[in-house]
Amino acid sequence: MTDTTAPAQKSGIRFTGAFHRLLAFSGLIALVLVFSLASPNFMQTQNILAILQATAVNGVLAIAVTLVIITGGIDLSVGTLMTFCAVIAGVILTYWGLPMPLGIIGAILAGTASGLISGTVVAKLKVPPFIATLGMMLILKGLSLVISGTRPIYFNDTPGFNQIALGSVVGQIIPAVPVPNGVMILFAVALLASFVLGKTALGRYTFALGSNEEAVRLSGVNVDRWKIGVYALSGAIVGVGGVLIASRLNSAQPALGQGYELEAIAAVVIGGTSLSGGRGTVLGTLIGALIISVLANGLRILSVAQEWQTVVTGTIIILAVYADILRRRNL
Amino acid sequence: MGEGSQAELASHSTTPLVEMTGIDKNFPGVRALSQARFELVPGEVHALMGENGAGKSTLMKVLSGVYARDAGVVKLNGEPVEISSPRQAQDAGISIIHQELALMRDLTAAQNIFIGREPRRFGILDEGQLNRDAAAIFKSMNLKLEPTVLVENLTIAKQQMVEIAKALSYRSRVLIMDEPTAALNDAEIAELFAIINRLKAEGVGIVYISHKMDEIKRISDRVTVMRDGEYVGTVPAAETPIETIISMMVGRTLTNEALVIPNVADQPVALEVRGLNRGREIRDVSFSVRQGEILGFAGLMGAGRTEVARAIFGADRKESGEIWVHGQRVGITTPRDAVAKGIGYLSEDRKLFGLATGLDVRNNIALASLERFTGPTGVLNEAGMEAAAKDYIRQLAIKTPSDSQEARLLSGGNQQKVVIAKWLLRDCDILIFDEPTRGIDVGAKSEIYKLLNNLAAQGKAIIVISSELPEILRLSHRIAVMCEGRLTGILPGGSSQEEIMHLATMREAAMMPDEEVRRAG
Amino acid sequence: MLNRRTLLGAISAVAMLAASTPVMAQDNYDIALISKGFQHQFWQAVKAGADQAAADLGVTVTFEGPETESQVDRQMDMLAAALSRQPDAIGFAALDSQAATPLLQQAQDAGIPVIAFDSGVDSDIPLTTATTDNVAAAALAADVMAELIGGEGKVAIVAHDQTSRTGIDRVEGFSNRIKEAYPNIEIVSVQYGGGDQLQSTEITKSILLANPDLKGIFGANEGSVLGVANGKQELGSDIVVIGYDSGAAQKAFIESGVIAGAITQNPVGIGYQTVQAAVSALKGEELPEIIDTGFYYYNADNMSDPQIAAVLYD
Repeated sequence: MTDTTAPAQKSGIRFTGAFHRLLAFSGLIALVLVFSLASPNFMQTQNILAILQATAVNGVLAIAVTLVIITGGIDLSVGTLMTFCAVIAGVILTYWGLPMPLGIIGAILAGTASGLISGTVVAKLKVPPFIATLGMMLILKGLSLVISGTRPIYFNDTPGFNQIALGSVVGQIIPAVPVPNGVMILFAVALLASFVLGKTALGRYTFALGSNEEAVRLSGVNVDRWKIGVYALSGAIVGVGGVLIASRLNSAQPALGQGYELEAIAAVVIGGTSLSGGRGTVLGTLIGALIISVLANGLRILSVAQEWQTVVTGTIIILAVYADILRRRNL
Repeated sequence: MGEGSQAELASHSTTPLVEMTGIDKNFPGVRALSQARFELVPGEVHALMGENGAGKSTLMKVLSGVYARDAGVVKLNGEPVEISSPRQAQDAGISIIHQELALMRDLTAAQNIFIGREPRRFGILDEGQLNRDAAAIFKSMNLKLEPTVLVENLTIAKQQMVEIAKALSYRSRVLIMDEPTAALNDAEIAELFAIINRLKAEGVGIVYISHKMDEIKRISDRVTVMRDGEYVGTVPAAETPIETIISMMVGRTLTNEALVIPNVADQPVALEVRGLNRGREIRDVSFSVRQGEILGFAGLMGAGRTEVARAIFGADRKESGEIWVHGQRVGITTPRDAVAKGIGYLSEDRKLFGLATGLDVRNNIALASLERFTGPTGVLNEAGMEAAAKDYIRQLAIKTPSDSQEARLLSGGNQQKVVIAKWLLRDCDILIFDEPTRGIDVGAKSEIYKLLNNLAAQGKAIIVISSELPEILRLSHRIAVMCEGRLTGILPGGSSQEEIMHLATMREAAMMPDEEVRRAG
Repeated sequence: MLNRRTLLGAISAVAMLAASTPVMAQDNYDIALISKGFQHQFWQAVKAGADQAAADLGVTVTFEGPETESQVDRQMDMLAAALSRQPDAIGFAALDSQAATPLLQQAQDAGIPVIAFDSGVDSDIPLTTATTDNVAAAALAADVMAELIGGEGKVAIVAHDQTSRTGIDRVEGFSNRIKEAYPNIEIVSVQYGGGDQLQSTEITKSILLANPDLKGIFGANEGSVLGVANGKQELGSDIVVIGYDSGAAQKAFIESGVIAGAITQNPVGIGYQTVQAAVSALKGEELPEIIDTGFYYYNADNMSDPQIAAVLYD
């Protein structure tokens, strides 16, 4: 029994997505302006490229976790899965000496496989996503250490491997803006994820699952299959993240990864995706990831003490979500 | 019918408990209340009626301090008051019993009643005192309930009693009940009404919000009708014909179409169920429904009607039984199988099971048919979906500003139509409606009835499950009646209420002792 | 043996301190230090040394490091941001030298001198490295251990990790010294607890339970040895524990005798020397290839000696 007749809400709600993007986007612009005014070293090509480079891996992970969060789930395993995929690439390229494309495909397949497992545990065994992916997080962390013998695997025998993230195809065409390939890959992943979310049945079910899973099931949709599909796609994207970080460090660092899932989730939340599911955008997540990077970089440029950088970042996360709540309440 | 008369009312008191006049309330862009008014005298049950969106809940939220009014005067016992929080309302003796019960399931009845006001001794919670206090309230209500029972083990009706006890514990003089009987069966409703009558006798004023006309006539003294946020009028419940109240609510006179039972004897059988079983809930249920026929399912709460529907649809498992669709035996273990055979199920709780409320109308209509709109490249044919959605919005007269409106913003009746459109788009020709008009207001109800009749006329086979006998009688070409998991009989359309009730209470003699054991335990 | 090594370490430390006569800088140089960690007391001591040097030499110093020593990419982001700031010099302790190479190249191209510290950088770009000789320091720990257990029996190592330079050097320095010089001592187990106190405690207890006749354990960094001490106490064992680094907890354990003694690096000196080397480089002075920042063995007896107390941190 709602007594507030709907007309006024009707026009407002339709622009929710656009408005939110605007909100996060204006936050990003504000940060960039503040840092530009505070330090002449901030708005330099090289620094902007450094920020983008720092966003690449977290951005890819955040996009992956966005998909799962829209279904109403959560994925805590993205950080260590990224590392696992990097280690798999290391095994294929350095231990087995196979050609580079196989290493990349192997890493993405490893991510997909892990996603399939997480998805199956969630959909078929009905283990809550938080628990299922917490388990996967630890399993993958352990496997990475076991497979690599806890030592970093270097990609010195695969010439050009570090060009995947660090090289710049754009720079060869327009030398003035040598945007690293890693950043272009992030954009490509974002475009792909936006396309899947907006234009395909998988994307539509992703939103529908987060909105009302039982309604989807009672519509005769094979809910389990689609849910597993979302986790698998998410895993494949994490695989791309694994290749990116391995390329950037020219090594697979097996101890890395834990904690990265929280930063990815922070980016998702700042970007306006609801943790309760059913609502979210890839663009928002991308902006959220950029906000985190810009903040970290800007505070460093201003020589703010590291302790305070952490305090500021935490504050911004809470403010971003609070701004979102305020906006929603005012509608 | 009315259990109080004007003369009796006057004897209670001269000062109204509540007097609200000239109340305005605006939300951004919406005028929710405009010069609304309401009066409640001690010892009266005052029904507040109106269609969804008429302003009933908003008015009561103003009274209970949830919303601040923009204009107008609220008087309690003749004194103007400012109530700015639910807490203040409670202190002033105003309690609301919400449609969605607000109890903590893992606490006991007594703990729920005194939450936040637990008696203490030397700083330590005094459970004994707590339970004695709760028991005293239950006794004053003549209610047999253990204070230490966990709320999650109580029926909805008993939970409601706990809510009422909680309100009484605040010494409330004003009790607002929002659709209190929505989830109750007849016996439980009688129990509730007994308590309401006892409260009346003690001078408590009760605001009773409901859509059910027969209840209003039975329990209330006066009826205030609202429409579009405005006050329409107040009439004595006993003397005013139902038709008058309805026309006050909708602003026009509704024609009550008579039941026309088509001859479907020569139509093929669309769905046949043979020997369906699952534990105690479904016991050897067999029936069939022909194309163009509406088969009503009547019975008391817990008779197993929804369980039968869900088992046919594959939403719950079944132990044994055959399902035949269009003369062919089919295996259905998941909703997916059922939908593939052309069976659509409209669940009793749309918000929980039927509608993806966060999605827009277009996607809800297309939800079961997305595969049809997926091209070879995997890209959704958005234009096709839009065209289909618009087609059904027109055909079913769904009131929505556009097909991209979020489904949760639609009224109950229009949400129901969206779910119907979903199944029609999926080419379902066997439709199972579980409580199709629950939470839908009077005006929209007759529209849904018309729609069901049209669907039947188009050759769809329709099953309607309803707890409202008038609805069953109004719609059904044949009436299947269930009691305790068994199909106790199938009556021809137009049978009397008494015949249905007879079958609905026909308990299996052999099962009686066993049943008693189960109830006791 | 023991005394000579201690002496050597002490002498080199004194020599360093003597060399570090304050020079007043004409310019207010901006020096960015990117370390391997931040929260750990050891890194805070390095930071304290750097801050001291900044005050003495009149330069500005910033000090940053990732939360854990596995976050290689975070360290790269910090280094990249530091480069964008265009500092006059950079001090850098690489988590992974290879990963850092492109950024270090960028620093060299921009004419920013790089000083490596702690475990250093595996590259020829840094002008010098201010570091502890971890192999020699761990060998000293082996000598002490041998002496305290009477030159024979079983010992074990609980280390932080097997990927970092310090982890590798300390384990190798200890075990090689045992193999070379003490044929009657057997190293029965080398376990890694990630420098995590709790994890190292569990490891220690399992080693002790598996080897009831164990004579001693070497804990290769602060977190590891605290775990070893905890494990020893929980099981009521009386093995000899030799630690590494300092910190209030370890110092207390040494005072109460749970830990026999420990090797200390000179973290304050590492920080100080790094900043000082950066200033020297900016002034165009010659720098040695390695600046040995020294190490000591300390126990309850010499903890309060001024030159030892000066390098211990809480």
